[in-house]
Amino acid sequence: MSGGRGGQGGVGAVSRRAALGGLGAAAVAYAVLGPRGARDVPPGRVVIDYWEKWTGQEGRAMQSIVDEFNATQDRIFVRYFSMSTIEQKAMVSIAGGDPPDVLGLWSFATPTFAESAGLLAMDDLNDAFGTEIAADFRARYGDTRWVFDPERYTKPAWDFCRYKGLSWGAVSTCSSMALYYNRGLFREVGLDPDRPPRTIEEMDEASERLTSFGGDGRVERAGFVHREPGWWDWIWGHFFGGTLLSSDGRRALAGSAENVRGYEWLQSYPERIGRTRLLAFQSGFGNYNSLQQPFLAGQVGMVLHGPFLANVIQLFRPDLDYAAVPFPVASSIYDPAAPIALLEADTLCIPRGCKHPREAFEFVSFVQRSEVLERLASAHAKPSPLAEVSDSFVRTHLNRSIAMHNGLMGSPRAFVKPQTRVWPQYESEFIAGMGAMWDLRVGAAEELRGIEARAQVLLDDAALRHERRYGDRTLAERRPRAGSGA
Amino acid sequence: MSGPADAIPGRAVHPAERNEWRAGLLFISPWLVGFVVFLLLPGAMTLFYSLTEYSVLEPPIFAGFENYAGLFRDPVFWKVLRNTLVYTAITVPVSTVVAIAIACLLNSGVRFSAFWRAVVFLPSLVPLVASAMVWMWIFNGELGLLNAALDPVLGVVGAVIGRDVLAPNWLGSPAWIMPALILMSLWSIGNAVVIYLAALQDVPAALYEAAAIDGVRPLGRFRHVTLPMISPVVLFNVIVGLIAAWQVFAVPYVLLGAAGGPDRAGYFYTTYLYDNAFSYTRMGYASAMAWVQLLVILVLTGVTMLLSKRFVYYRGA
Repeated sequence: MSGGRGGQGGVGAVSRRAALGGLGAAAVAYAVLGPRGARDVPPGRVVIDYWEKWTGQEGRAMQSIVDEFNATQDRIFVRYFSMSTIEQKAMVSIAGGDPPDVLGLWSFATPTFAESAGLLAMDDLNDAFGTEIAADFRARYGDTRWVFDPERYTKPAWDFCRYKGLSWGAVSTCSSMALYYNRGLFREVGLDPDRPPRTIEEMDEASERLTSFGGDGRVERAGFVHREPGWWDWIWGHFFGGTLLSSDGRRALAGSAENVRGYEWLQSYPERIGRTRLLAFQSGFGNYNSLQQPFLAGQVGMVLHGPFLANVIQLFRPDLDYAAVPFPVASSIYDPAAPIALLEADTLCIPRGCKHPREAFEFVSFVQRSEVLERLASAHAKPSPLAEVSDSFVRTHLNRSIAMHNGLMGSPRAFVKPQTRVWPQYESEFIAGMGAMWDLRVGAAEELRGIEARAQVLLDDAALRHERRYGDRTLAERRPRAGSGA
Repeated sequence: MSGPADAIPGRAVHPAERNEWRAGLLFISPWLVGFVVFLLLPGAMTLFYSLTEYSVLEPPIFAGFENYAGLFRDPVFWKVLRNTLVYTAITVPVSTVVAIAIACLLNSGVRFSAFWRAVVFLPSLVPLVASAMVWMWIFNGELGLLNAALDPVLGVVGAVIGRDVLAPNWLGSPAWIMPALILMSLWSIGNAVVIYLAALQDVPAALYEAAAIDGVRPLGRFRHVTLPMISPVVLFNVIVGLIAAWQVFAVPYVLLGAAGGPDRAGYFYTTYLYDNAFSYTRMGYASAMAWVQLLVILVLTGVTMLLSKRFVYYRGA
């Protein structure tokens, strides 16, 4: 270092004073000219930060609703931030005491956040601000019915956000998973496109006819591949009447006879087609959001999917002749009046430590207005969470099977992901075990027994930790209130 | 830089010395503040958290050594430990040998050596996630470049042995996931190659000439001249490689997604640590894993340093 006084620096050496001056000037320049976060916010507004996981078409749909809310407001301004790994970021921000005001979570993550006192109960916010906001909505939008009326929603849509007697969010969009099938391929192989499979047995037969091989023995097309899109490795026992968790949430049931039947059925596919050939075929599948997606590319004739698939079809293969029906179930439990379907939802939650709970609640209430929810559902190609939908919703909906998806939302045998804190670990056991089962290296019964045993350890451990931390205190008793910090 | 306290005992500290000391501290303060705030404090806090049950959203509760005891009962912990050990045990020696071999080639007076040096170094500049996406397609079992190259060879092998030999499903089969990841680790050895190249160019030519006059063959010259002379650099690269291999995260996470692919064959220590911290909300447990990881790395580094006394030659030492 060259000293300021009597330094030994040669030509071009920087003096200490010059170095410090340079650094200081840079800091001042950054402070004066550096980035500004909120230049686009109209003056005098309360700024609400809203974190959401949606990008692309889904993100744009939500952004337009945010824009509409901002345009009708003179007091609140919502800033929409789209982000990945939202749960992790939300967790850290809540713990750090600087969370967003509104948080878009998947419904299955809500119990974990609620249990850890990470969210404010909507019931409390409704009690505190509901009457005032309802009056404002009446004046502003002419709404005659308050949005947080359980009667407005289908039962599962209302229940998505309910956990241990309280509501921890409001549903923004919801989905019911179904069997999507390529009607053109059905016709090509002599199957009736208007009479898709209803039972597992019928589905096996259809799949067999749709599957074709090249001259070199490679699979050219498969009727059905359980691992496409591979988002629900844990689901297959449900179509045989199985479930993964006891109703009190304390016992893992992965190894039940129904689940074993489900996974034995799954294994029958690589057995029939040939596991090596099937794995090689699968590895050539393209990304979900592309023309190379196997259902769009005609590589797979049937697929378990959500209604949002219609958006991808519209984008890349608008000419594809497809339809969706409830996923087939074992013939012994087939009941057309009560199809079995997985339901999922996106929820809007207000985290603990939120700086503007009233304004956040007002924005969430705005999104719950019928025409807003319908518009969002249409843009996402999803069913509506509301019990009553407008004629135009079904008539103009992008998804041609939306009425069926709406019907699934009301099915008494529809189910959601198990509501337990250890679900991410439980699910990871399935993801890991699936490889061995799909590859036929282990029998379904043996693997599921192992998964059940490991999941039971996780559940017992979680129960013990919960007991140690909270004792007899219920979630309702220990819930955070608006204004409580991190 | 020595501080005023290090001055000769009893001697008064001259104001100019004190000023020098203050100025020095001021200049390194950005690094010092960063080190304390982003490394020292969080490190100390993880030691505390490792002794608690802490879910991030809930306040920590003291749990003694329960998290450490839990590690030994956790089958996934042993699985990731084994995977990471195998990965480290293979990638470190293989990448060392390959990097030295490439450096020797580049140092052997090959034409357009500057061009080849850039070619070898370039992959190190590509972001890991981008490389992983490219390799995902290279390893694709059905459409991948690697299998496209292997297929004709395996066809000939199959014809010779009289049965079909299929190219591996690199990322879909548990048996091939580890070889695929090890193969991919060679993609970014450019850094090590450049360091070896610098070391090779520093070996005195006189030593080679003396060895040649004594009739030592090229392989002997490599063994008795080159290797001893670059051994301190080999030690440095081995230790850096050891630590990097133990912390492997981004590539398997991008290539294999949750749970490290089928049978958790590509599930590594740091990935499981991350999952515990942020997906399973078990920050206390993850902190205990972090401290065990530090301990393992310290032990491995210590053993390497001990062994280095036998194998590393320091000029002028």
